[in-house]
Amino acid sequence: MTRQLPFIEAIREALREEMIHDDKVFLVGQDIRGAIYPHTKGLVDEFGPDRVVDTPISESGMYGMASGAALQGYRPVVDFMFGGFTYVTFSEATVTTGQQYFLHGSKSNMPLVITAGVGAGMRLANDHSMAIHGTFAHHPGIKVAMPSTPYDAKGMFKAAIRDNSPVVIPWHMALMMDKGEVPDEDYVVPLGKADIKREGADVTVVANSQQLKFALQVAEKLDGEISVEVFDPRSFVPFDMDLLLTSLAKTSRLVIVDEDWESGGFAATLSARVMEQGFDLLDAPVLRVTFPNMPIPGGVLEPRVMPNPERIEAAIRAVME
Amino acid sequence: MDANPPVRELAMSISNTALTIEDRKLLFTNLLRADEYDRTMYKRMMSGKLLGFYHPGEGAIAPGIGAATFLNQDDVLSPHHRAHGMAHALAKGVDLKPYLAEHTGKAGGCSEGRSSFHMSFPEHKIYMFSGFIGFNFAPAVGYGYAAKLSGKGQVVMMCSGDGSYGQGRAHEAMLMAQNMKLPIIFWCENNGLAIHAEASEMHPMPDISSLADGYGMPKRIVDGQDVFACAEAAREAIDHAREGKGPMFVECKTLRLKEHDIGTPDLIGSTPRSKEDILKQAEREPVKLAMQKVLADGLFTMDEIDDLRTAARAEVEAAWDWADAQPFPEDGEAELMTHVFAPNAEDAA
Repeated sequence: MTRQLPFIEAIREALREEMIHDDKVFLVGQDIRGAIYPHTKGLVDEFGPDRVVDTPISESGMYGMASGAALQGYRPVVDFMFGGFTYVTFSEATVTTGQQYFLHGSKSNMPLVITAGVGAGMRLANDHSMAIHGTFAHHPGIKVAMPSTPYDAKGMFKAAIRDNSPVVIPWHMALMMDKGEVPDEDYVVPLGKADIKREGADVTVVANSQQLKFALQVAEKLDGEISVEVFDPRSFVPFDMDLLLTSLAKTSRLVIVDEDWESGGFAATLSARVMEQGFDLLDAPVLRVTFPNMPIPGGVLEPRVMPNPERIEAAIRAVME
Repeated sequence: MDANPPVRELAMSISNTALTIEDRKLLFTNLLRADEYDRTMYKRMMSGKLLGFYHPGEGAIAPGIGAATFLNQDDVLSPHHRAHGMAHALAKGVDLKPYLAEHTGKAGGCSEGRSSFHMSFPEHKIYMFSGFIGFNFAPAVGYGYAAKLSGKGQVVMMCSGDGSYGQGRAHEAMLMAQNMKLPIIFWCENNGLAIHAEASEMHPMPDISSLADGYGMPKRIVDGQDVFACAEAAREAIDHAREGKGPMFVECKTLRLKEHDIGTPDLIGSTPRSKEDILKQAEREPVKLAMQKVLADGLFTMDEIDDLRTAARAEVEAAWDWADAQPFPEDGEAELMTHVFAPNAEDAA
């Protein structure tokens, strides 16, 4: 059976069901008992304060609680509230986490999940808005995924919690109350599987989360003029290159939309990979729509510079020329 | 630098911590073994037969032996870079052969030759050594929390030096450990020097353990040159943690007889350490002190000590023979790429 659920409620269902399914799963964060975001609402009443743990404002200690417990056989989900706050414990979350399994002889799994709200458009300024998927994707040994729909949110959070490697799975704050169909039975959306959210023939647009919504709006607007295929990577690491190349074989044009900065972002990596692996499929250079290389401004300035439907449409028109 | 730092507060709780004759013999034997491993690393490095760095432990191996000799196998041990954790690990019962192999890049290494000098023996609950000083504070919170959740009475021996207490992570770990009464021993081996930086210059208080006061955490200060005193303090702290009373801070006042790592100039600030200071410190070399005690107390005769020393040398030599006989790994990029992520059950299907 499926119901219409808000995006954030789908995440809550995944957390709750996995905590029922496996008593090694626990949540750690700041103010998650009181549910500063509703995905942890009421969970402390059901599972108790040992499994829904609030820590002091000590990101390293909080994250360490998860990483150490993961090495001891637990499956913690560590909630940073905002993605930018992962930077406070950057060395642990990226370097020592990513290298742990490989560098120490493939002997000890570290199954933990990092989550946090992210995204531009809330007018919160840089440190509450920055994307983190590209930064984490840069560091080997960490899986990185980001759901765009309530269905994907539930299935991907479940897959992340069950994965034996560290998984970073931020969620976009602009999607929080978006509703969508969510099955009430158990299912996972495997990490590493992309999804064509709209089929098209003329151009492939890679977009995720809020930018996926914008891309779908643009595709709808251009319907009858330009046939836009909208490709949701869902996972950045591992990335479903096969499906993207299949899409490009059909459309031969590519626009990559990414709310992250232009410099060193995932869009840059993906653009290079397409050049390397799919150059012969292309009829035009790859174009990117990204955040300009400035700290994300707050207030009324943010909408002037962030990736938006107008910029996506302009890029689609440019790549079609 | 004060060669003979005052010991203000010794481990006192004698009833649970008193060492038997057998305990003291074991500690002394472990000390000799660690000393042999440490010296051989120095020689290997000087003759170009060791990969990476080596941070010699000479003068400072007693705290590691004291910390780990009486841990249970399911206790978590987190050593630090001095002597590369070998004293700690062998005291917990780790066969160091695979570590020597790792340090020479061999396939038989404890990390399959991928990790150079970073020790990891997850089967002995020694994890993810990292090059970041103080790296182990944060995961220690998690080891401690897991121990508390699982309720099996495990403890976490979280070892580091004076320098690591410059890390904010140390504060976070102590804060959380004391809040949640986690079974973590903050075992500080204060040798007075972080590379070239004197603890007295980098810390405002003479004792690192005074940090524990702010958290209401019990603390002990022991003579880190006295392996028996270290072991007694460790036992008291281990008992305290195992009984669910929460963390304890133990500061071992130790010293350093060699440079920070082999090949680095031995300075204080920007000026060379005086030979006189080092010679004065060498009078308190832990093997020498322990030998005086075991002879005085009649635990071993001089002949028996010679035999122990010979056996330790033979052990280390055999370990190196084994390590040297291991092949180098044949893994290329394709094979290594299969080890970036842990497999999932469905990967096999």
